[in-house]
Amino acid sequence: MARCKPEQNQTLMALTSSALLLPAYQNAIADAPPDFTQLGIRYSQYEEDDISSSKAVGGSSERYKVDITQFHLLAPVSDNWSVALDVQYEDMSGASPWFVGESFEGDPKVIMSSASIEDSRTDVSVTTRYYYDRGNAGLNYTRSEEDDYESDAIGFDAAFNSADGLTTYSGAISASSDDIEPTQGSVPTNTLKDEKDIRSAWMGVTRIVSKRGIVRFGLGYTYRDGFLTDPYKLNDKRPDERKEWTASTGYRHFFVGQNAALHTDYRYFDDDWGINSHTIDVAWHQNLGQHSQLIPFLRYYTQDEADFFSNRVDFSAPYYADDYRLSAFGALSAGLRYNYSYSNWQVNLAGERYRSNNDWGIYGGEESPGLVDFWRFSIGLDYAFR
Amino acid sequence: MVRIEHQFVAMGGPCCIRLDSANAELAQVALQCAQREVQRLEQKFSRYLPDSITSTINRQAGTRQPVVIDPETKGLLQYADTLWHRSEGMFDLTSGILRKAWNFKSTRLPEQAELNKLLALVGWDKVIHDGESVYLPEPGMELDFGGYVKEYACDAAAGILKRHGISSALVDLGGDMATTGNQADGTPWVVGIRHPETPGQAIAQVSVGAGGLATSGDYERAMLIADKRYGHILNPKTGWPVEGLVAISLLAEQCLVAGSAATIAMLKPQAQALTWLKELGLPWLAVDQNGQCYGTIAQTQD
Repeated sequence: MARCKPEQNQTLMALTSSALLLPAYQNAIADAPPDFTQLGIRYSQYEEDDISSSKAVGGSSERYKVDITQFHLLAPVSDNWSVALDVQYEDMSGASPWFVGESFEGDPKVIMSSASIEDSRTDVSVTTRYYYDRGNAGLNYTRSEEDDYESDAIGFDAAFNSADGLTTYSGAISASSDDIEPTQGSVPTNTLKDEKDIRSAWMGVTRIVSKRGIVRFGLGYTYRDGFLTDPYKLNDKRPDERKEWTASTGYRHFFVGQNAALHTDYRYFDDDWGINSHTIDVAWHQNLGQHSQLIPFLRYYTQDEADFFSNRVDFSAPYYADDYRLSAFGALSAGLRYNYSYSNWQVNLAGERYRSNNDWGIYGGEESPGLVDFWRFSIGLDYAFR
Repeated sequence: MVRIEHQFVAMGGPCCIRLDSANAELAQVALQCAQREVQRLEQKFSRYLPDSITSTINRQAGTRQPVVIDPETKGLLQYADTLWHRSEGMFDLTSGILRKAWNFKSTRLPEQAELNKLLALVGWDKVIHDGESVYLPEPGMELDFGGYVKEYACDAAAGILKRHGISSALVDLGGDMATTGNQADGTPWVVGIRHPETPGQAIAQVSVGAGGLATSGDYERAMLIADKRYGHILNPKTGWPVEGLVAISLLAEQCLVAGSAATIAMLKPQAQALTWLKELGLPWLAVDQNGQCYGTIAQTQD
């Protein structure tokens, strides 16, 4: 039997692993507050393709468009504390599928909400983080407001590094309470006022497996309780409880010759509405000289339909939804990100194309005429006060 | 890109940081922070400064009052423990006191009785440390971090520069060095290892990529009595100088590891040291008492 290659010298290994416990070598783990105040602003545009006349009753129609402006501030408070403020403003407009009906030929077609919906949303989030000897812990509060929606959420997360500094264990819990009060006008709504609660927990482990490789695993659970029906969709009626599980794993490898890193990630999702999904992400982080980085990325997503999804309404069934997001489909998205940093400034550009199709999925199921394709672009600017 | 060279004096010798940066102002801030880090470590661990943790620990030797320590001191003590075990008790943080018997400026050898008295105060295994505190049980016992704190300071200063976004820097604290990465043009820093007998002259030129270079030498303080050389590297078990190599340079990912591995090899008899260095697997260069060189780092051609 072939022998393994000779082991690295035991003394060298002992000295190195003992040295790496010292604070001067802990920077990579970054369990210290940032050294400087950092400020960032980002503008993104999300635009769905028009729905084609073959899919919609009443001809081609424009769909959703969202303009997103994000502001980020991260500041050290002391040797052990940092505080972050995130503000996000979204401006949404366009039409969305109201319900699925039948054409003269008997094909399912989408009926879009007639008037253009105008809504805006503001999220304000404050996070304070404490850094201790072997990890850090953060407490977060987020308030989100829309014309028809209000949400308060709190979250706690913590990370702990192993004595050898090679393994990080992390966990998070969060809870939110949401109030829904649909805007009356464009379409009749199926509730006037309601609420829902969300609880979630997550745990993960990340391990440096070699000089150039990092592997991670994560498990998550989310419990939703309350009014989970879409208030703007005719006939929509969903269970008032949803339990979701996720399992994810990822591997990153740095290639010295190419001066680049390959990131691969996989995520499995399962819930008690009958939806399973798989997500595969691949990204190549190519360093270009000292200042810039180009990141092409590709994502494949596929999901099964919910037990109560159908294009034909059945009033005798306890639950019903014709929402394309609960149908079986597959989706591909491809994009490019570019980062350029020079002295205190950093510029980020990103573009992404997403397309979805019932045939691209691995699960059988009725095709929803409402499936969406979209473009997303963003530009960001960050500044470090040092 | 500008090349900036910053010189200062710390840890008992000349220090120099060279770096390439696109922004001279930011580089100056980074340099100040790196220098402050070196000075912080000097003030914290110097056995000459009365307020240092080292002096506090030494003052409380034999008083039954353990000294509470912070995570960094704890880390350095744990590292000392690793060094003691890996060197079979030769790298001993308490052995500095043996210097009291040796005056290398004289031509007098110490009395064995004198050495025996001091040897009773030497022994890392006697030190009581539990991660929270440290205590030297015998009055007169002393700890000395001087054997590796300069190398640690090199890495710490390089770490500060890295956190300031300086990816091309070389920290040189009296011949022990650490880099944050290659020079701005992508080529590694090339430094000279000084000649044991002729200071100012390089015995070898070596490329330091990302990592550290350290030299442990016995050529500065030694005395010659009846044609026999007595170096200042003392065996903590006998109190007498080790008859080993005269200088060893090592390259490692951390200057701290390079320096302490070089010191462990200095504490071994020559033949054993050479074998140990070969097995270690790091690039090395050693010089013996006759000026002959050994190792994997190529010597400079005359």
